[in-house]
Amino acid sequence: MTVGTASAPARAAELSEGRRWAMPERAWPYLLVAPAVLVLAVFRFYPLLLGANFSLTGDGEQNGQFNGLANYVEIFRDPVFGSALRNVGLLILLLPVAVAVPGLLATFLFLHVPGHRFYRSVYFFPVVLSPVIIGAIFNIVLAIDGPVNVLLGGLGLRPVEWLGDPGIAMFSVVAVHIWATFGMALVIFLAGFATLDRSLLDAARVDGANLAQTIRHVIVPGLSRTIQFVVVTTMIGMLTSMFGLLYVMTGGGPGSSTYLPELYIWVMQGEMNRPALASAASMVLFALMVVIGAAQIRILRRATKEA
Amino acid sequence: MKRVLATAAALVAAVALAGCGGAAGTGSLPQGGGDAKKLVVWDWKSGDANTAGYFEAARAAFAARHPDIDVEFVAQPFDQYYTLLGTAIEAGQGPDVVLFNGGGQIRDRADALVPLDPYLDGARQRLAGWDAFRSGDTTLAAPVTLQGMPIYYNKALYRQAGLDPERPPATFAELQATCAAIEERTDATCFSAGNKEGYGIQFFMSAFGPGILTPQEYDAWLAGDRDWNSPNVKRIFELWKQFEDAGYNNPGVNSTALFNDAFSVFSGGRAAHVIGLISDVGNWKDLGEFLGADLGVTVGPVITDGAAPTLAFDGGIGYGVTKWTADPALAADLVAALTDPQALRVFYTDAGALPSDPGIDTSDSGPVVGELVADLSAGKPALHLALSASTQDLMGRLSQELLAGSVTVDDAVRQLAAADAA
Repeated sequence: MTVGTASAPARAAELSEGRRWAMPERAWPYLLVAPAVLVLAVFRFYPLLLGANFSLTGDGEQNGQFNGLANYVEIFRDPVFGSALRNVGLLILLLPVAVAVPGLLATFLFLHVPGHRFYRSVYFFPVVLSPVIIGAIFNIVLAIDGPVNVLLGGLGLRPVEWLGDPGIAMFSVVAVHIWATFGMALVIFLAGFATLDRSLLDAARVDGANLAQTIRHVIVPGLSRTIQFVVVTTMIGMLTSMFGLLYVMTGGGPGSSTYLPELYIWVMQGEMNRPALASAASMVLFALMVVIGAAQIRILRRATKEA
Repeated sequence: MKRVLATAAALVAAVALAGCGGAAGTGSLPQGGGDAKKLVVWDWKSGDANTAGYFEAARAAFAARHPDIDVEFVAQPFDQYYTLLGTAIEAGQGPDVVLFNGGGQIRDRADALVPLDPYLDGARQRLAGWDAFRSGDTTLAAPVTLQGMPIYYNKALYRQAGLDPERPPATFAELQATCAAIEERTDATCFSAGNKEGYGIQFFMSAFGPGILTPQEYDAWLAGDRDWNSPNVKRIFELWKQFEDAGYNNPGVNSTALFNDAFSVFSGGRAAHVIGLISDVGNWKDLGEFLGADLGVTVGPVITDGAAPTLAFDGGIGYGVTKWTADPALAADLVAALTDPQALRVFYTDAGALPSDPGIDTSDSGPVVGELVADLSAGKPALHLALSASTQDLMGRLSQELLAGSVTVDDAVRQLAAADAA
């Protein structure tokens, strides 16, 4: 006699019932994320595809006609777009500064320098200001007869055309952008510090590590994911959020010395009536972001791992 | 990295499969859109207190003929105006009537506008400044104001420098002597200039160009036969650079906005001359509020042999009708109301803009307006207005590089010739 086993037909019925319920159970997660996927598909991926599609068509009289890669050839031949790409390279070179400023300041706040609570609030202030307002303020501050040049004059130095000299203007705008945005990265760093293992810091102190050694061997590896996040978001911010500042402070000039792809896209779409060309420039910017972001994550993953 | 490449490949495949559409839709812009009971006008003036009376007068003139039609004026910010308009044109919908600057801005958008020729009637003879609103033989808009680039000067600074305030320089040698005297005996610079947006060169070209190009070269330029390698055309750009190098300009020209910083420098007595306008901003009325009777006006001096300087002027701003309006004749009637003599008179008295209707009496505004009006009879269209918007944009950027010394005149002219020929 068999104990505790069902007959063959009963087992088959149970299995069949289990299968009937197992399928919907597996489908539930898909059903739950479907609205989000749908929203992404309709409002993110479809416009992206549409933009990519437009970039392969003509402008003006050729509107709607497939013209292959002609727009891409044109933008890569355009010296203004070339200047915008060179400025992207400059931003990549300046990225360590943009990350180091909030990183170092956050470290000092974490180490409770005197007045750290006051500094924490003040550093965040510019983040809430509109780039247009910040640009207008710094237009006055950096004007040829503005306070900075008055200060230089007091020191016996000649005034500098901060926004009118092609060799200086981009650095001026980037400096203002860093001033305006480092507060947000600072907050992210502080959140990262909150997750840092205190016992490692204590151990470093007991072992006699100085500040530089503590930062290099304890803080940087401990904050590797935070640093990765800040590097990538800061780079994205520099490439896509400087439009307001550039528009107000320099308009891309002098010449094309402060052009970035985003400003180029805007000028081509709005002022030059070239939407397909602007779409091509947008796709180049998108590709740049993907490549730069992926490369940064890869490099940082290696660099921030303690050997 | 493999994942990135796979994503990129998937994207390319998706684009290839998506087929082709147009960024601006395919085919012609939609016709017959809009609301037949309401007309929407886009401009950058109706929010300005100085022009409120003009819009009321134009609205009243239109209401007298069409009491059942509602008119809505939508003021857009000027620095984004053509961007917003470009988007409306791409969408094939938006305002029924649109305000334009004359020249490249309207010609580049001719496809989106109804030819006004069948609707002009008496306005054709009554108004002046049509050339700036024509594309070929087609009239795209009706002028409201005239626009020109006279040189305003400060008589008080002339007196301070020991110069005759009623005798502005008529030759280049006299201009150099005047600037030397201003520099030596006053704290002001000779010229107030602003080129942050790259507009400075446009004003410079149209103010000094008539004293540099021969009448034949000038006419050829306007007709589209532009010889960028001619010594006289190069002279315009050389002089632009020479003014900066000689210290005639206020410091920091590339970081000074023409509107309104450069005008403020002149109004504040910190510069002896400025290239201003005869339309409603930076004009005799604006500048005269600060300088009063010390405001003088002149045209550029003779700089090369054979040149005959005149006031460069053409239509300033004007209204066109979009192709998608429900009833083009009705919208054209609104344009007629916006160029109504009574409305233009109010525009002139309130904002100081010289109206496009020469029949309007301007004799009550003093000697500066008198001289400007007298110069109109011999005036020719401005040189820079003959260029396309993209060539003007390039010229603006090159002018900044010329001042900074990062491009030569020869290279600038070569690039402009290529852009103009494209």
